[in-house]
Amino acid sequence: MIIANGWLSEQAVMHAWAMATAAVVSAGCGLVGTLLVVRRMSLLGDAISHAVLPGIVVAVLAGGRLGGPIVLAGATVTALFTVWLTRSLAGRRGVAEDAASGIVFTTLFAVGVVLVSALASRVDLDASCVLHGILELVPFDTVPLAGFEIPRAFLTGAIVLAALLAMAVLTWKEQLFAAFDTDAARAAGMPVGLATTGLLAATALATVASFEAVGAILVVAMLVVPAATAELLVHRLHSMALVAVLVAVVASCIGYLAAWHFNTSAAGMIAVVLGLGYLAAALSAPDGVVARLAARGRLAWRVTCEDCLAALWRGEEAGAAAALPPAVFPRALGQHAALLWLRASGRITTASDGGWRLSTRGRAEAETVVRSHRLWEAWLGRHAELPLDHLHPPAEWIEHHLGAAVRERLEAEVGVAASDPHGRTIPPERK
Amino acid sequence: MSPLGAIPYNTLVVAVGVAAVGFAAGVIGSLGLLRKRALAGDAAAHATLVGVAAAFLATGRRDLPVLLVGALVAAVVSLGVLVLIRRWTRTRDDAATAIVLGVSFGLGITLISGITARGIPGGGGLEQFLLGHTAALTAADAVLLAAVSVVAVVALVVGFKEAVLVAFDPAFAAATGWPVAVIDYLLVALVAVMVVVGLPAAGAVLVTALVVIPPAAARQWTDRIGTMVPLAGVIGLVSAVAGVVASAGFPRLPTGPMIVLVAAALFGLSVLAAVVRDRLAARRPIA
Repeated sequence: MIIANGWLSEQAVMHAWAMATAAVVSAGCGLVGTLLVVRRMSLLGDAISHAVLPGIVVAVLAGGRLGGPIVLAGATVTALFTVWLTRSLAGRRGVAEDAASGIVFTTLFAVGVVLVSALASRVDLDASCVLHGILELVPFDTVPLAGFEIPRAFLTGAIVLAALLAMAVLTWKEQLFAAFDTDAARAAGMPVGLATTGLLAATALATVASFEAVGAILVVAMLVVPAATAELLVHRLHSMALVAVLVAVVASCIGYLAAWHFNTSAAGMIAVVLGLGYLAAALSAPDGVVARLAARGRLAWRVTCEDCLAALWRGEEAGAAAALPPAVFPRALGQHAALLWLRASGRITTASDGGWRLSTRGRAEAETVVRSHRLWEAWLGRHAELPLDHLHPPAEWIEHHLGAAVRERLEAEVGVAASDPHGRTIPPERK
Repeated sequence: MSPLGAIPYNTLVVAVGVAAVGFAAGVIGSLGLLRKRALAGDAAAHATLVGVAAAFLATGRRDLPVLLVGALVAAVVSLGVLVLIRRWTRTRDDAATAIVLGVSFGLGITLISGITARGIPGGGGLEQFLLGHTAALTAADAVLLAAVSVVAVVALVVGFKEAVLVAFDPAFAAATGWPVAVIDYLLVALVAVMVVVGLPAAGAVLVTALVVIPPAAARQWTDRIGTMVPLAGVIGLVSAVAGVVASAGFPRLPTGPMIVLVAAALFGLSVLAAVVRDRLAARRPIA
């Protein structure tokens, strides 16, 4: 290597080149994958990544080099052939599109593996390269360029990335339209078929550029996972593409370093890091798992607190000692915690007999809940032909969700100062 | 020496075992194909690799039953992850399948490469689960595979009526009170079991073909499910045996691709035959 700059050891330079190669090929995959994911064509990406193998092998046999133009062309032709064959098989006698795709890509992949195994001596490929790439060896196959020795795979990856970027910038409007409303795009006279074919060709290019680095199968992780991660985080297509590329590049670098540290396959580790990134996004996205669970928890907590207040209010109304409805674990635990919080926040107090009493503030809040409940029962009793004992459950549910405006309209319908169907008075609105 | 003279006893038993796997995969795949869940097992198939590597790391032994139990656990976990993604995220089904497939395969490759790089004794052969390698199977392994296949076929025969009902008319099945979701889960579980027992022969990458191609080929010959299911079994059996024989003749070739190529050739013939038959039928005047 000529690049040794005096301060980087030759080994470090090698690793840097391999990492840079992973980064450029995964950036291309992230870009193409964005369109595949929003167009629900992820599995087509999977099929193409398997099926281009025989195209690559035949092109190598015909004198092409991995990453050279002959191999790029061979793979692209095979990808388009795969899609054509899948489409012509689909719909034939009970063979659905996914089954057709499964038949075509497993068969073509099998052809590729048999060719590689049978002609191992004549082809500069082996089965492990097919399955998980040879990222670690990429820096040793270099071409001279402007006085530097540049790894061939990096150069191919960079050229393909530039081509994909150019395609994306030039046809972005069309791809966006086709992705979100194919029918409208077709009706508007847009060549949707051409846009789709272009996307398939782009997928083939991105796949074959990544082949040396990560093999035929792990490409699917590079195509789909960054885009799916980005889709969880942002909503606009161009931000999704940017985030996907960023995720792909960062995951490639982290994955490569982790593989170096743990002494294992770099391509496999990149896929694992991508998976961890997706997991992190699924958990922490604005509408992700954590946010949804937190929202559920907050709602459950509010409902428990309001139910406690309403139960105490009903106890006061009946003139009996305030009694909470019996609850079993874990609801009883939640109820207990809610009572402690209500006391700490000044909504209830402990009386001398050890029972709970509503404070002025707590009574006001309890009355709002009970008012919502009884207004709803009264309205249901009037408008829905339900037996008396069927009115309580829906009211018990909706009492936590009615606002002042809805209560006002309900009151206007059932009449001011009316009582609920059970004959109990409806408390007035608190200002 | 086996009764067939020249063929070693072990090869014969392995061929019979793999034949049983091929038959069972064709039979069970038929219902998957009709339910339009042909690729349901593909993500699970790629995930089995993680289970194989983890089982090897946990026990330190390369016994097939141990590895296959690991593979089955991994397959079931991957299907569970798919359900979780569907339930908890905005990610659509196709992307979810690709994510589980790609990431679990990456994890499997990472574990196997790590095992190989550390030179753990016995770890070298784990790569054979990628593309299948029947030459490494013992007679006892083959008996295990055959036994599981028989159990899977019996399970399908027992629940055949329900499976067919759900495959053809899920809405009607639900309306008449059948637990469609449970029957679907059981069917996918059976597919996962077939993917796992198909693993030693066909390998994680291509084992899906065992449950997809023979049923699709059988479907070209008949419109009756009573004919299609056994026919798919026979096509699977023939593909499996031919694949084993071919890779016994060419030891450098992995078994999985050979099985897939034979099955694909039979599928191609079936499609041709169907096209010819349809053309002839179109010429016949309507009586």
